[in-house]
Amino acid sequence: MTKKNFLFFYIPLTGFLIIFFVFSFLNRAYIQGRVKALVDEQLLATAGILKVHFSRLLEAEYAPDEIFALFPEEEDIYYMALLDESGKLLGWRSRFEGYLPLTDEMIGERRSWIIESPVGRIFNAITSFSLSGEKKYYLYLGYSLKNLEEMMAHSRNNFYLILALIFGVGVLFSIGLYRFQLNYVEKKRELDEEKKEKKRYQEISALTSGVAHEIKNPLNSLALLFEWLHKRAAPGTGEKIAYGKEEIRKISKIVDQFSTALKPIDLHKETFSLTEIISEARSSIDISSREKDVNIRFPQNDDIVMSADKGLIRQAVLNLISNATEASGRGEVKIRAEKVKGRTVLSIQDFGRGMTEDEKKHIFEPFFSTKTSGMGIGLYIVKKIIDAHQGKIRVESEWGKGTTVIVEIPGG
Amino acid sequence: MKRRMFLLAGLVLPLLIGISFAQESRHFYNVDSEKRIEGIIREINMEPRYRGSAPFLVIKLESLDTHTVYNVEISPAWFFAMDVHKGEDMEVLGSFYQSDRREPGIIAREIRFRGETFLLRDKHGFPNWRGGQKGRKGHRRGKKIKK
Repeated sequence: MTKKNFLFFYIPLTGFLIIFFVFSFLNRAYIQGRVKALVDEQLLATAGILKVHFSRLLEAEYAPDEIFALFPEEEDIYYMALLDESGKLLGWRSRFEGYLPLTDEMIGERRSWIIESPVGRIFNAITSFSLSGEKKYYLYLGYSLKNLEEMMAHSRNNFYLILALIFGVGVLFSIGLYRFQLNYVEKKRELDEEKKEKKRYQEISALTSGVAHEIKNPLNSLALLFEWLHKRAAPGTGEKIAYGKEEIRKISKIVDQFSTALKPIDLHKETFSLTEIISEARSSIDISSREKDVNIRFPQNDDIVMSADKGLIRQAVLNLISNATEASGRGEVKIRAEKVKGRTVLSIQDFGRGMTEDEKKHIFEPFFSTKTSGMGIGLYIVKKIIDAHQGKIRVESEWGKGTTVIVEIPGG
Repeated sequence: MKRRMFLLAGLVLPLLIGISFAQESRHFYNVDSEKRIEGIIREINMEPRYRGSAPFLVIKLESLDTHTVYNVEISPAWFFAMDVHKGEDMEVLGSFYQSDRREPGIIAREIRFRGETFLLRDKHGFPNWRGGQKGRKGHRRGKKIKK
C-alpha cells in the first residue's frame, strides 16, 4: 500500500473515529453530569426525609443512639451521623467498623461532595435542620454510588465496544474499498492496453492487407509467366521452371494465410453436427496421421449439435487436430465433444512432449510456433474464430506428458 | 394524635423487621485527632466493639513518655494474626479519643511491632479487613505490608 493510498483510505476513517470519540465523550460527560445532578437531588431528598424523622424523634426526646437504633439498615447508606450546632457528634453508625470520614472542615457551608473509598465512591451530604426554630442540628449521610458506578462502567464498556466495532467495520470497509479500487485500476489499465493493442492491430492489419494485396497481383502475373515459360521450356530447363512455379505457389499460399489471418471474421451461424465436422476433419488428415503412426481416437456416438459458423468451426477443428497429430509424434490423439451446461465443449488431447510454461503463455500469439515448419498462425486463427463465437479456449499441458486444448462455445 | 401515630409507625416498623444496628463503640476514626504513641503492652483483651463484627483485639498500652495508659483498638482478632504478649513494645498511629468513663483510647491505623509495620486502616480510617488495601503486594491477614 502506498502512502497516498493509506492517506486516502485511513485519514477519513481516523477522522470519523475521532469525531465519534469526541462526540460520544462529550455526550457521555453531559449525561454523567446530569445523572450525578439527579442523584445529588435524590440523595438530598432522602436526607430531607430522614431529617423529618430525626427532628420528630428528637422533639419526642429520643436519645440520638436510640434514634439510630430505630432505623433499619439500608444497603446503600454506608454511614450516617447526627451533629449539634457546634459540630459535636451526638450519634452515628457505619457499615464499616469505625469508618466515618468526617473532618472538622466538612461541617459548614459545604452541602454535598463525593469521596473515593476502597468500596467505591461515596456520596456525602451534610444538611442542617432545626427543632421548632430553636436548636440546630446537622445530619451527615454517606450514600453508596455503587449502582451509579456500575451504570457508568456499563455505559463506558458499551462506548468502547461500539468504538471497537466501528473501528473494525471501518477497517474492513476500507480494505474492501481499497481492493475494489485496485481491481478497478487494474481493469482500467487492462482495457486501456487492450484498446491500444486493438488500434495497433488494426493499423498493422490495414498495412499488411495492403502489402498482401500488392504482392498478390505481381505474383499472379509471375505465376502466369512461369506457366507460359514451362510450356515453351527448352529441353533440360523444365525442371528448374517447375521449381520456380512451386516457390511462387508457396509464396502465394503464405500471402493467402496472411490475408485469412488478418481478415475480420463475419459469422454466418447455422445448426450443424459437430460430430460430423470432427469425423470429416479426422478423415481429411487420416493419411498424414497414418504416415506418422498416430491413432486419432474419437470414441463418440452421440451427435453433438451446435449453432455456429460451420466453415469457421471446421477450420478450427481441422487446425487443432492437425496440430495435435503433429505434436503427438508416434502415439494417439484423443478427441472428446460434449454438452456442459448449455455449452459445447471440445477437447483434443495429444501425448507429445507437452509445453513449457513460457510456451503456454505465447501459444495463441501470431507467428509463435514450437514446430520447425509452419508460420505459427494456426492457433492464432483458431483463437480468433473461438473469440468471434464468444467462446473460450485454454491449454492444459505438462512437460513430457502431452497437451490438451479445450474449447468452449456457448449455446448449441 | 396524628403525630403520635406517625411516630409509632416510624418506630415500630423497623423493630418488627428486626434489622437495626448500633456500634458498641461510641467513637469513630477521626482523622483530625490522629496521634502516635509508643509504649509497653500492659493488658490484652478481646472485646466486642462493633455490632455484627467479630471481637476486637484491644490492648492497654502504657505510654513511654507520660505513662498514660491507652485503650488501643487494633482490629478483629482474626485479622491481626500475631501473638502479642504483655511487656512488649509497640508503636501505634491512630485516632485518639477521650472516653468519659474509661482510659483514653486510640483506634489504631498503623502499628510498629517487633520491627515490622502493619497497616490496619487506610488514611481515612477505612478498615483493611473490609476490602481496603486490596491488591497491595504482600497483603494478607495480619501480615506486615511494609517495613
